[in-house]
Amino acid sequence: MAEIEKVDYWRWTESNWRNPEIADVTGCLLTAGVDIGSTSTQAVVLADGVPFVYSNMRTGNNSPDSAINAMNWALKDTGLKTEDIEYTIGTGYGRVNVPFSNKNVTEITCHARGANYIYGPTIRTILDMGGQDCKAIHCDEKGAVTSFMMNDKCAAGTGRGMEVIANLLAVRVEDIGELSFKVDEEPDPVSSTCVIFAKSEATKLMREGWTKEKVLAAYCHAMALRVVRLLERNGMEPDFAITGGIAKNMGVVKRIERIMNVKALEPTMDTQIAGAVGAALIAKDLVEKKRAKA
Amino acid sequence: MSYEKLFDATVCTESAKAWRASGKKAVGTVCCHVPYEIIYAAGVLPVRLRATGCVDSSDAESWMSSFSCSYARSILQYLMNGTYELDGLIQTDGCMMPTRIFDNWEHVSKKQGKDQFCYQIGAPRITKDITIKYYKNELQGLADALSKLSGTAVTDAGLKAAVEKYNEIRELVAQLNELRKAEKPVVSGAEALAIMIKFGDYTPDEYIALLKEFLADAKNRKPIEGRARLMVIGSALDNPDYLKVIEEKGGLIVAEDNCFGERNFGEKIVVDDNDVLGSIASYYLGRNTCPRSLDNRPAIHKEIIEKAKAYGVQGIIYAKMQNCECWGGEAYYLEPALKEVGIPMLQVEREEQMANAGQLAIRAEAFVEMLDK
Repeated sequence: MAEIEKVDYWRWTESNWRNPEIADVTGCLLTAGVDIGSTSTQAVVLADGVPFVYSNMRTGNNSPDSAINAMNWALKDTGLKTEDIEYTIGTGYGRVNVPFSNKNVTEITCHARGANYIYGPTIRTILDMGGQDCKAIHCDEKGAVTSFMMNDKCAAGTGRGMEVIANLLAVRVEDIGELSFKVDEEPDPVSSTCVIFAKSEATKLMREGWTKEKVLAAYCHAMALRVVRLLERNGMEPDFAITGGIAKNMGVVKRIERIMNVKALEPTMDTQIAGAVGAALIAKDLVEKKRAKA
Repeated sequence: MSYEKLFDATVCTESAKAWRASGKKAVGTVCCHVPYEIIYAAGVLPVRLRATGCVDSSDAESWMSSFSCSYARSILQYLMNGTYELDGLIQTDGCMMPTRIFDNWEHVSKKQGKDQFCYQIGAPRITKDITIKYYKNELQGLADALSKLSGTAVTDAGLKAAVEKYNEIRELVAQLNELRKAEKPVVSGAEALAIMIKFGDYTPDEYIALLKEFLADAKNRKPIEGRARLMVIGSALDNPDYLKVIEEKGGLIVAEDNCFGERNFGEKIVVDDNDVLGSIASYYLGRNTCPRSLDNRPAIHKEIIEKAKAYGVQGIIYAKMQNCECWGGEAYYLEPALKEVGIPMLQVEREEQMANAGQLAIRAEAFVEMLDK
């Protein structure tokens, strides 16, 4: 019997990057941030505060290994080793499990700082849509958090919820956004209180003859509504930007923009690395403070 | 040091057992509107019920919906599973949830073949002369029923002696909380809450002795440092471990505002010799213990802000029990008031069972980072 090809539709593309404008980091202050999220792990190395290398990969079942793997992949072909980095900050839910970190800081603080770097000092409201939670963060011109709010207890409205739907509908997670716009009319949202309810509702809609695109539109709509409530509760002040994996899903981003009547700033780099960038910047601040004191 | 047992938050019923073994009665109470003095004046031991450490309320869930308050449900669980073996239950219509404890316990205790003194007091939600008069009548009814239960008449002299006893406790608890105003207090928020919830585990005399012993030794304790001075407010909170999670993340809880903390004690009662019961009624109904009342929101907010200032609080954690009708929507009104005076607020939702310690920890840690710039 022919073997049925098994496709993991939820698998998003891992990546690594090296800054083509930095050839040599000799004499530079190297600081790093490692963001171990529930779903993805990023390692970012800054050279004198400028992104030098980064990696973005799926979190395995072992946080210390994820941190090591992400850092090794980021440093690949640079001739650098983890020990060459002066200060490393761990962040994300696995922040205490980064074996080579000097300190850990919450992802809320790091995302605000990272967004300030990626989007500029005018950023005031950040929506971080991560693997298993989402956060509305308000920050000042320096990227310091002034208030925040997190979703409660459910993966609905998060990356993991999107992965579940990708697998259910056999659609690559990266294609969901685009497909969700291929509908004549925006459908009502599915349940947004629980990812399991949303899944069973999507199954029911498929049985009723809805197209995949229409179900995806209903799901993206629900996800947008859910996070909009969080944004409204914490207060929306422009400029506004979205970080995290879901920021790459235009099906959700555009719907949030439409519902809130606000335009999210365009990212200048991978939105998933905001937390790790923020961590690396905080690391740089700490080293400089320490040096100034010495 | 025997006061160390004040830090063990586990529900301990040894004192109530001993009290009952001597032929006297002991009853559980729920809500800050049940005056301990009346119960004590009848020779009955009031036991403020709490559900600390309850990890499974499935028996109670057969009677109370899972959409009810988990604190109330857990109290019912402790009554049902015999954690509390008492002679009855006294409560007010403080909110709808205690009334469900009452209804269900009245029914379930009969099914269990237990002879229980179950008494409910109507506590008006507006404080004015006519409602104080009504409440006083309710308290008179309670006093009469308790006299019948114990065989000890509730007299003015008995009430005054009880007021004196509980005023002494109030004074000692005030001294405990005064320690928390220091830049580096010698008592953490979790420890202070543990001490205050133990009030329900002992007779007044035992509790007074333990408090005195603790206060006498307080100067020998190590000062505690935190990254941010916090105040925790909101629904009934009888679990010091909850505060411990916050303090382990760098917060130092120097004040709280909930019905198991300072609000359970309050200022001393001043008795008018011509109307002793009336004095107790005015005191208990006039206190701004919780937003159940219709006319005390500005007063509660003012008290919270004044307290925050007095204790040098940098941020407030608003911990709301899921399905709490009293504190459910209060944040919408309180947050702008706090913003006006520059005190940031973090909202968290909780349940009696500590199922979300991780979620609390990340929020608390980020809040501390935000305050500790």
